[in-house]
Amino acid sequence: MTDAVGFRAPTDWKTDAMQKRIRKRYRAERRFRALGLAAVAMSAAFLIFLLAVMVGNGAAGFMRTEVALPIDFKAAPLDIDRAQLATRGADLALAGAGLQDRVATAATAAFGEKGEELIAENAWTAVRDAIKADPNLLSQRAHVWVPASSDLDAAADGGGEPAMQAEVRKLRERGALQSGFNAGFLSRADSTDPTAVGIWGAFKGSLLTMLVTLLIAFPIGVLSAVYLEEYAPKNRWTDLIEVSINNLAAVPSIIFGLLGLAVFLGTFGLPRSAPLVGGLTLALMIMPVIVIAGRNAIKAVPPSIRDAALGIGASRVQVVFHHVLPLALPGILTGTIIGMARALGETAPLLLIGMRAFIVTPPGGVFDPATVLPVQIFLWSDEVSRGFIEKTSAAIIVLLVFLLAMNALAIYLRNRFETRW
Amino acid sequence: MTQVDFADTAETSAAPAVAPGVPKMAAQGVNVFYGEKQAIRDVSIDVNMENVTAFIGPSGCGKSTFLRTLNRMNDTVASARVEGLITLDGENIYDKTMDVVQLRARVGMVFQKPNPFPKSIYENVAYGPRIHGLARAKGDMDQIVERSLKRAGLWEEVKDRLQDSGTALSGGQQQRLCIARAIAVDPEVILMDEPCSALDPIATAKIEELIHELRGRYAIVIVTHNMQQAARVSQRTAFFHLGTLIEYGETDQIFTAPRQERTKDYITGRYG
Repeated sequence: MTDAVGFRAPTDWKTDAMQKRIRKRYRAERRFRALGLAAVAMSAAFLIFLLAVMVGNGAAGFMRTEVALPIDFKAAPLDIDRAQLATRGADLALAGAGLQDRVATAATAAFGEKGEELIAENAWTAVRDAIKADPNLLSQRAHVWVPASSDLDAAADGGGEPAMQAEVRKLRERGALQSGFNAGFLSRADSTDPTAVGIWGAFKGSLLTMLVTLLIAFPIGVLSAVYLEEYAPKNRWTDLIEVSINNLAAVPSIIFGLLGLAVFLGTFGLPRSAPLVGGLTLALMIMPVIVIAGRNAIKAVPPSIRDAALGIGASRVQVVFHHVLPLALPGILTGTIIGMARALGETAPLLLIGMRAFIVTPPGGVFDPATVLPVQIFLWSDEVSRGFIEKTSAAIIVLLVFLLAMNALAIYLRNRFETRW
Repeated sequence: MTQVDFADTAETSAAPAVAPGVPKMAAQGVNVFYGEKQAIRDVSIDVNMENVTAFIGPSGCGKSTFLRTLNRMNDTVASARVEGLITLDGENIYDKTMDVVQLRARVGMVFQKPNPFPKSIYENVAYGPRIHGLARAKGDMDQIVERSLKRAGLWEEVKDRLQDSGTALSGGQQQRLCIARAIAVDPEVILMDEPCSALDPIATAKIEELIHELRGRYAIVIVTHNMQQAARVSQRTAFFHLGTLIEYGETDQIFTAPRQERTKDYITGRYG
């Protein structure tokens, strides 16, 4: 043997070629580290830019400009029976008594001819709520803070037309202008007037839709993963199913929307625009993601644990539910987070099943018409009125907060179930 | 058959090796296939109570495969197929009426690599009795856990930390925990698949000592690569080669006067 190889001189590690190779290796190392750092820095910069823009634009969306409207019920009382104010018919009674006109006249009286343009169309509802809170107002001369019109609102933020900016200056001098937290934004639904819109309708729609998605996709996805991994025989059919599931995970979401339209609305006749249908459609979409993640997590459970349980006489179901699933759960939850995050941000399939409708009341249940946060953002971004720009950013902030809250919950659950061995 | 061989050589064994009457477990003409490949050819063997039976042989000779047919662990391998007759107390364990879950409770198993559940020491031992409903009264479970850990020689080391994770123990302790887990369901036969191959010599000595103590209650079958270990712990030894049972007899006879040339070559280190 040694004869065939022959004599070989000991390696000289000090030659120039060797030194050059060493320097080259160090250079490659440094270069790679710099590139990696640059990549991370770039994604961080994008993220910070995005957040800064969103927060900068959106913060104004949570605020609203209010005008102090002097209104005199003492000189000209409203024709209304006070006993009605305590009943559920109070809103109707006040509207019937011509409160809206009275507010408009008060605005003209206080701010001149164009006074009506300074206050929001729904400003009278602020007066209505004030009366309901304190019926004594009906016999007094008082100031009520009402929301400003969108034009005035824009001018107060530093934009808008010059005429409106003059009005803003005048009102500021009188101390009749204030900026307050727009609580209504978090409690109302969509509207045509940007000062009157709220995100609660879309938020609740998203919540209900996500609930349906989770309740359908999680159990079905996990059971499929368990069956395919633990029970199904390995043959051509299961191979085919595996390939189909992998492909399904990559199908563009709008196609799932068409499927939902054809099956849930067409065949089953479920109500249009309902979170139930949206949830079912999105569940179809994220099920493959959960199945794939679930199968990988189940595959990663060491076979020795299965052997151990089988060896002391556990049945297959006991092995799965006592040992495999608890150990696979963190991985399954990771897949579910990814799927749910995708579902939460999905717009296209929901447009097709009618969740882009203009809906002014928050949904009461999964059968009521509703819209969801990303669709609401899409709708508002399409509006021309300037007030909608900041509302769009505000809605994006709400969507991101929702997403973060959902992920935080899932990560908390995952860490709780994590087992160390 | 082999039954006759026992009687002939009984006197040479150090321990009382021969049980009267029906053997605890018996295999007759067993063939095992993995798909097309035959892993075990026509093996017939008897396993008796209060006896340690060692399976020795070179790697890949089928001794572990055969061991796993004794409690039907091969059922989990989709391509595995078993032919022939294997009985436990005279009942065919591959019969349709045989419940595999009960079979595995009666024929326990300890694996090559210690595989405690990632749960507390207490839960590891209590799991088997719990799923089989063995602890009826309150406090029964505590007793079962204590008794099993004592029999496995682990009680003194862990009695103050039963709620600690079973995976936090040392390798040898983990393996004894696995033995405690197996005996907690009161099996009749314990199968051990190279239980010491992942352990250091001191832990190995402890396990071997434990096997000696357990012998009085159970029929034990141990697969081992280590011929000294087979000689130390077993009363009967079976030598497997290429899926066939070459020789089966009293351990002393196998190691001192093997009847087959191949057995002799293997135990003298000619191959393996």
